[in-house]
Amino acid sequence: MDYVKPAKGTDDALAIQTSQLTKTFGSLVAVNSIDLNIKRGELFGLLGPNGAGKTTTINMLCCLLRPTSGSATIMGYDINQQPFDIKGAIGVSPQETVLSERLNCWENLALVGKIHGLSSTEIRKRSQELIEAVGLAERAKDQVRKFSGGMKRRLNIMMALIHNPEVLFLDEPTLGLDPQARRAIWEYIFRLKGEKTILLTTHYMDEADFLADRIGIMDEGKIVALGTSTELKIAMLERHTMIIYAWNLTQKVINEMRSRYEEVEVTDGTLIITDKQLDFKEIIDLLHSLGAVVRSAYMKEPTLDDVFLHVTGKGLRE
Amino acid sequence: MRFWELCRRNLKETYRDPLALGFLLAFPLLFMVLMGVAVGGSTPNFTIGIIDNDHTSVSQDFVNEALAKVPAFEISTYEDTTTAMKDLKFGDLNAYVVIPHGFSEQVSQNLQDKETNIILDMTYDESDIMVSEQIISIINTVTRAFARIEIPVTINANPIHIETEITFIDFIAPGIIIFGLLILIPTSARMMVRDKETGFLSRLLTTPARPVDFILGYSLCLIFIAIVQIIIFIAAARWFGMDIVGNLWLAFLILILTGLSSIGIGMVVASLSKSENQAEPLCWLIAMPLAMLSGCWFSTEIMPSYLRNAANVFPYAHAINASRGILIRGVGFEAITGDFLFLVGWAVVIFTIGIILFRRTMRS
Repeated sequence: MDYVKPAKGTDDALAIQTSQLTKTFGSLVAVNSIDLNIKRGELFGLLGPNGAGKTTTINMLCCLLRPTSGSATIMGYDINQQPFDIKGAIGVSPQETVLSERLNCWENLALVGKIHGLSSTEIRKRSQELIEAVGLAERAKDQVRKFSGGMKRRLNIMMALIHNPEVLFLDEPTLGLDPQARRAIWEYIFRLKGEKTILLTTHYMDEADFLADRIGIMDEGKIVALGTSTELKIAMLERHTMIIYAWNLTQKVINEMRSRYEEVEVTDGTLIITDKQLDFKEIIDLLHSLGAVVRSAYMKEPTLDDVFLHVTGKGLRE
Repeated sequence: MRFWELCRRNLKETYRDPLALGFLLAFPLLFMVLMGVAVGGSTPNFTIGIIDNDHTSVSQDFVNEALAKVPAFEISTYEDTTTAMKDLKFGDLNAYVVIPHGFSEQVSQNLQDKETNIILDMTYDESDIMVSEQIISIINTVTRAFARIEIPVTINANPIHIETEITFIDFIAPGIIIFGLLILIPTSARMMVRDKETGFLSRLLTTPARPVDFILGYSLCLIFIAIVQIIIFIAAARWFGMDIVGNLWLAFLILILTGLSSIGIGMVVASLSKSENQAEPLCWLIAMPLAMLSGCWFSTEIMPSYLRNAANVFPYAHAINASRGILIRGVGFEAITGDFLFLVGWAVVIFTIGIILFRRTMRS
């Protein structure tokens, strides 16, 4: 598909660029001056609680909403000036599974394919590939109203891919699905990595952690943190936690540890130590020298929830 | 052609939905079946008394060449109303009609394009509304046909007789067909507002499809549905014994224009509604009173004049009048030009408003 014609003055390596992108609804600032640069082939996760402004951002980038101020380009096309060029180059899988319920898989795909100007032969070939890739071949002739939630979600994503777009917007692609169905969709999205530029919004931290190359954490319309999952966890966290399972945790051992580290908790043979700096080997050696028998120990990995809590002062689901 | 793909999708969504299909076709057909079974295609027999106070050749022709030729009527002439009233009370008459003095002048003035009212006094047993309803309707139809066509032809010694056997199904079928087209209002609104509510419209707005593609996609699909409806309803009416004497294509044109008005009204409602739950009752609130006021199920002659005037603001009374004229009286385009132009105007205006509002909805 030859949709990509970068406009002059834009960075060819970038698929999505926003500059001070803002959207207000009356007095509510839904999206507040966000600047994003998403590279071609990158899977960018926009993470945030409900109402953070993720869908509004996607809607502006898909030319469904006009920004109040600021600008953005998709594959070099300006969202205000060239909406129909953008619409030809993107695929959108909305938050709701929006399908023609009385049409079957093939017909739903053909509808979007025809709207994108694909020939019947192209549609048949591409649909076949997609249906097989997502494992819907056996049910492809059934009306989609008979599909399970997971199957509908998969078709929802396929419809965004039928015309082989350069940029893919996935708005909460696994919302409301059971773990098995979520996993199936993750695997499919994972296979698209590198092949497409993907902007994925989610409020599931594990989803962003597993899928995204880079993550932007959004809260109250702003990007409050940006980076890879590891970068965010390391840069944002000032404290580390070590968890040790040990025998012979005497009062002497506990007192010694409490005198050396900021926070020490003991529960049922488990020692949890938290401080700005923790040296794994030094702690193990110290415990041995104090007579404790260490069975196992590990550094607790910080989660994106910890990062979110750190940067916003509240939990993701608040 | 993106609009064609959208039209095909809308058609598939409709014909694969038994409930929607049943609602569109079975509902009006059920009316027709009930009416057909209840009254049948047989010609009802009404005994009508006539008191001719005009005593002119015109009034005599009206009695002998027009009223007496109606198969549903058995005409008896009376010298005065006293005897006729007595027979009416005894049940020997269903109604009696007084032709007033000056009737022939009124008819002549009418033929010279001078506006005048032709007044007939009719007394009937009001306990049987359906019978009186039909008699009023038939006398009204025959009188209009007589005043417009019969007199000049009789002068020219080439009398045209009212050949149509005006049965109940003849009278009721055009109204039921129009009622079927009125049902396009909720159908159109539902189709459009559902796509808006479920987000399907938003989804396709992220594709290169343009607003005009959506509007054409919906409209073509609904026009196709209207055509199928009209064919099925006319076939059903014919099966129940409706005698079609006029130009079927002309009637078809009138019915299509009526369908376009319904689609336009549906589009306006869909644009103003946020959800299907909001649109549906609003549509019925519009469609049912319009069906009643416009005379889908009974003649508007029994309604007060202010209600008839109100009904005439909308296209449906004109559509019923024109389609009845064409189908059962056999009138040509010249006789229904006013109704035709009114329908064209209504269809153009409401469709334009619908398109403007729907485009605005899509932008928002």
